[in-house]
Amino acid sequence: MIFGALFKIAIDALWVNKLRSSLTLLGVMIGVTSVMTIISALEGMAQSVEDDLSTLGPATFFVQKIGMAMSHEEFMKKLKRKPIEAETVELISEGCDLVDKISPRAYNQATVKYRDNSLRRVTIKAGFANLIDIIELDVANGRFHSYEDDIYRKSVVFIGHTIKEEFFSNIDPLGKTLKVGAKSYTVIGVAKEIGSTFGDADNFVEIPLAAYTKQFGTPRRGLSLVIKANSVAELPDAMDQVRMVLRAQRHVPFNEEDDFDILTADSILEMLNSITKFIRLGLIGISSISVVVGGIVVMNIMMVAVSERTREIGIRKALGAKQKHILIQFLFESLLVTFGGGLIGVLAGFIIAKALLVSSMGMEINPSVLAISIGLGISTGIGLIFGIYPAMKAAKLDPIKALSYE
Amino acid sequence: MALIETKDLWKTYEMGAETVHALRGASIAIEKGEYVAIMGPSGSGKSTLMNLIGCLDTPSQGNYTLNDKDVSNMTDDELANIRNREIGFVFQTFNLLPRATALHNVELPLIYNGSSTDERKEKAVKALTRVDLADRVTHKPSELSGGQRQRVAIARALVNDPSLILADEPTGNLDSKTSVEIMRLSDELHKQGNTIIVVTHERDIALHAKRVITILDGQIATDEQVTQEMRNAIH
Repeated sequence: MIFGALFKIAIDALWVNKLRSSLTLLGVMIGVTSVMTIISALEGMAQSVEDDLSTLGPATFFVQKIGMAMSHEEFMKKLKRKPIEAETVELISEGCDLVDKISPRAYNQATVKYRDNSLRRVTIKAGFANLIDIIELDVANGRFHSYEDDIYRKSVVFIGHTIKEEFFSNIDPLGKTLKVGAKSYTVIGVAKEIGSTFGDADNFVEIPLAAYTKQFGTPRRGLSLVIKANSVAELPDAMDQVRMVLRAQRHVPFNEEDDFDILTADSILEMLNSITKFIRLGLIGISSISVVVGGIVVMNIMMVAVSERTREIGIRKALGAKQKHILIQFLFESLLVTFGGGLIGVLAGFIIAKALLVSSMGMEINPSVLAISIGLGISTGIGLIFGIYPAMKAAKLDPIKALSYE
Repeated sequence: MALIETKDLWKTYEMGAETVHALRGASIAIEKGEYVAIMGPSGSGKSTLMNLIGCLDTPSQGNYTLNDKDVSNMTDDELANIRNREIGFVFQTFNLLPRATALHNVELPLIYNGSSTDERKEKAVKALTRVDLADRVTHKPSELSGGQRQRVAIARALVNDPSLILADEPTGNLDSKTSVEIMRLSDELHKQGNTIIVVTHERDIALHAKRVITILDGQIATDEQVTQEMRNAIH
């Protein structure tokens, strides 16, 4: 009952000073907005990276000579490793019963031309025909290359969405001739748009590995392998089988580490998160400064309110208000302002983050429970932390002095 | 036992290096239903005595028993509770909340003892009716005359049915005609059985009471029953 009455007193007091209350609210709102923008944007980006990686498929993993290197030294050390050779593919598909499919992978960059138009630095990807069953790659039009294309080293190309948009926006690309580097290829299929967080994942062409080696030779750093386990449940065991085969083939002594890297979508994500951790914490830290400024505004205004209403406090105490009643009344005031500011800030932060991400990267984000609770938690915390001192000051006023205050 | 019983009350203030004795051993006893005026020039210690009797402050030395409770060593919150239940204050400057309606001002003491919204409203309207302001419940202090404001304050003092009504210079900010009106209300409340203490420095106001206590230099100087002769001498 008392709480209800004290709450109403707080609301009335805020209502009387509408302008002041809204300015204070604005201060908190700006702080919370900046933090929320950062948090929402980071969350959206993390989500998007996760989505990108999920195109690998849940049961798929990579084997590479150099997966990821966290330092220059590590990179230089890994550079000395033996390349992964084409024979390995055979060994794995015969020796690992938990492996469903395997394809070697080779990557390069080249200029792609169609008539007078050209695109520079297009990613050239090569692999077996079974790739289409290993990675999540959807065909929009035509087909992916086939087993026969591999065997007969046919010069056929499967193009990414960006290539189609650039060269064939209004015409059917199938059967047209593209120049990849110096060589001509016939377009046999078009990929569905992938979309991505960083770079352009649609700016690629896929060609059969045989055609690739004919044109570019065997990659100097060796091949990568992309492998699909029988099932998600058997993924760890399949990875172990592959590891054993590779160690045996490469004669790695039992007491030494692997001289190759095995990567899954999860391990890539983990790595990315650990790399970006400090950047993320730093951004949140910097944006938190504005929340603290908002808190100082609240404290300042509450101090003014307490000294302005000294007499009111004296009257209330003379009539029987205990310290806690006065304390709660003033805390309610600061909490109402900061919670209100927090609520608007959460909303505004989300809208700004959404607008930013959509306009700069074409990314979509959804409101997350975590971000909303952080925003509201921060704003309530600010109200408590910066409101408690003025409220205690009010609560401890001597009624006689407060009553004679002019 | 008397409603109010103070024994050898001392109040000492430290003003820098100087020690000021505002009260030097004041002992008084006031029975339930009495109508008492406390008089004295400024600096005599009458405000200090009023603050102690009103439980706004505690004595440096001595005992004060109010309604069988020793309040001399109570904590701030215990005193707040006593003020809420036992004492109705009427101040010289009314001390109403300027932005609140008459009704809300009268409700204030009830908020702090946890009365329900309905109970608060009912009691507040009743108290305002007792001071003849039933038609002014939604008015704010700025929309009321001085006399009306003081009557709102009196309604607020009455609303919790206190043991004691403590009026500090209740007519100090009113013209003489309104003063008479307020003191008539005070007399009326006494007739209804309330215990009233009026602190004043005006003799004609003090003589509305049945007993006058004068204070000088922090001590009780005189304590006498008011006679008709005393009243006649004024007029």
